Amino acid sequence: MALRELAWRVTARELESSLEEEKGEGERPVAHLLSPFGARMNRVLLAGTLTPPEPVGRDEPATFWRARFTDPTGAIAVTAGSFQPRAMAQMRSVSAARPSVIVGKVHRYEGRDAIAHISVRAESIRAVGETEERAVLAEIVRQTLDRLDLVERIEKEPGVPDATLRSGGAPGPWIRGARDAVRRYPTVDRAAFRRALVAALRRVAGDSGPQPLAGPSSPAVKVTREPAAPPPLSAPTPGERADESIFLEFVDELSDQSVDGYADLKDVLERIAQRGVRGDRAEAVLNRLEEAGAIEEPIVGKLRRAD
Amino acid sequence: MADEPDAASVPEVRLRDLRPGGGPVEVLGRVVSFSRREVTRRSDGGRRPLVSGLLSDGTASVRFTWWDPPAEGIERGTVLRAVGAEVGEFRGRPELTFSWKTKIGPASPAELPKVDTEESPRRRVAELTAADEGFRVEVRVARIAPRSVSVGEERRIVHEGLVADASGAIALSSWSDFGLKVGEAVRIAGGYVRVFRGRPQLVLDERSTVVRIEPGDLPDPARLLRAPPRPIADVEDEGGGASVALEGIVVGLIPPSGLVYRCPTCRRAVTSGLCRLHGAVDGVADLRARIVLDDGTGSATVAADRDATERLWGVTLAEVLRRLKEQPDPSLISEQMLEALFGRRLRVRGPATRDDFGLTIVPESIETVDIDLDSTAEELAVRLGGTG
Repeated sequence: MALRELAWRVTARELESSLEEEKGEGERPVAHLLSPFGARMNRVLLAGTLTPPEPVGRDEPATFWRARFTDPTGAIAVTAGSFQPRAMAQMRSVSAARPSVIVGKVHRYEGRDAIAHISVRAESIRAVGETEERAVLAEIVRQTLDRLDLVERIEKEPGVPDATLRSGGAPGPWIRGARDAVRRYPTVDRAAFRRALVAALRRVAGDSGPQPLAGPSSPAVKVTREPAAPPPLSAPTPGERADESIFLEFVDELSDQSVDGYADLKDVLERIAQRGVRGDRAEAVLNRLEEAGAIEEPIVGKLRRAD
Repeated sequence: MADEPDAASVPEVRLRDLRPGGGPVEVLGRVVSFSRREVTRRSDGGRRPLVSGLLSDGTASVRFTWWDPPAEGIERGTVLRAVGAEVGEFRGRPELTFSWKTKIGPASPAELPKVDTEESPRRRVAELTAADEGFRVEVRVARIAPRSVSVGEERRIVHEGLVADASGAIALSSWSDFGLKVGEAVRIAGGYVRVFRGRPQLVLDERSTVVRIEPGDLPDPARLLRAPPRPIADVEDEGGGASVALEGIVVGLIPPSGLVYRCPTCRRAVTSGLCRLHGAVDGVADLRARIVLDDGTGSATVAADRDATERLWGVTLAEVLRRLKEQPDPSLISEQMLEALFGRRLRVRGPATRDDFGLTIVPESIETVDIDLDSTAEELAVRLGGTG
């Protein structure tokens, strides 16, 4: 189904604890980041504090920005690039740390050291009042607890049919996420995660300002993993960015020349292949650009710039 | 047309009993709906006229195609007798074709089969599907209101609403005034089901019968309209519903949202000054929002009209037009609208349909929802208590 990806309500801690990824299949692959607590994330919704962003890279003017997002459970990098012009403008308007609600796509980047860094590529950001932040955080905590219950139920009783869970009120996507979590994360320290949620709950209840985490600040999931370094660089690599800009140039050039205003995907791929970008790599560029909303394919095989 | 039909060789068949592939038949039925058009012959490019529509005899309604029809004498409500009609099949349903071999003439409504509506099988609302006919249902009226519509040249009053039994709810559209009132329990017979905007709809006309009955175990319609919101994922799985409530957070807007221009005649969106039906027109400015509402289980598109958009956004169409004069960039309008709506919690209620793009709800009501933070925090604290 080509349905829109739902926005999972998660905390920074859940994102930090998510290491497993599921690559999509088919013509339009959609990757999902699997959390140990039952979220199967492509898109997420966060509520917490966003700090002013810093430019990434040496482009002038900067085309990529990164900010630090914190909620009472942890911290995560939030990025926005020129392919998300609105999110970038919203992020750049943050001049001091402020409560914010953020919707974006999760991004997993594995460096040469094989450490997975998770970040969120913002689609929309809005600075909110404290009450609104607390209300969204309340929903995040509630849904996280619901998902934890589901994961624990499936762990205790792996053979329970989906239909039974459905009639008990569990939505289909959550059941799938919970089953993935049980399968992909055999050992999980859920008690530590619940302690992190207690900190979030204090915020919901109105405790303001910075506060110590209730539990130990080690990652909630016991897996081999280096301690998290400063906010990871999750931007596309310079090489990827170069591929993207060549790709976009060809889309512009070909759509300018064509009668119908569309660039033929076949022609774009042919030209970019002459520049040495072929096969999976070309496909990856196309997917990144489409996902970022820079280009769209309203007719199969026909591309154009999205406005 | 006036020929006496040669009834000797072909059997007269009730529409309910039509079976494809059995040779020509004689049928009798009333034209429920029809449209005229022309198709182009491939061989010589000549145009061939046809009328297609729906024929009903009270036992079923069946699509018909009439090649080279007379220029006059076919109207909604006309009763026809067709001798030598071919029975085909389309998507698993029988279909009638009238060709030069078919003798067609007008007939009297009195000749239509007497269908004892009390004897037609009782169906549950959830079982009704497109083109069903010859059934009765026992329902309560959840909502009913008259609306004036133009049908061709004339204005007619249609009574629109929502009826429900314990199995579910279905939209109602009655071309005849049965004096229906909210809360009444009724037995309805002689209606048929058609699909309107992707949802089944129960249609009544002057041939339908409505009898007041005791409510029994039929659901209280007020409860139906106050039902709590359901997970979007569940509603999506069910393919929508005649009246669903959803609650979620606004995570985006899909174009076209903001200022749009509509054809003054048909209200379709105008692109590049052209209406799809009426050609070059002076578009009338309108405001709309296609809101992506997400509840953490799934997402739905809320198609908000001008009223709802103005109310949610707090900015009127007039104000938008004024802003556009100062800053002639329409994309800023949808930016400002998103800025105002993003992250807000909404509860919407109305009919919902699902297509390739997901779930769309046309809201009859939209309200913003505030969470009681104190009680929510307490409730969550109890759930987390064991680990504190």
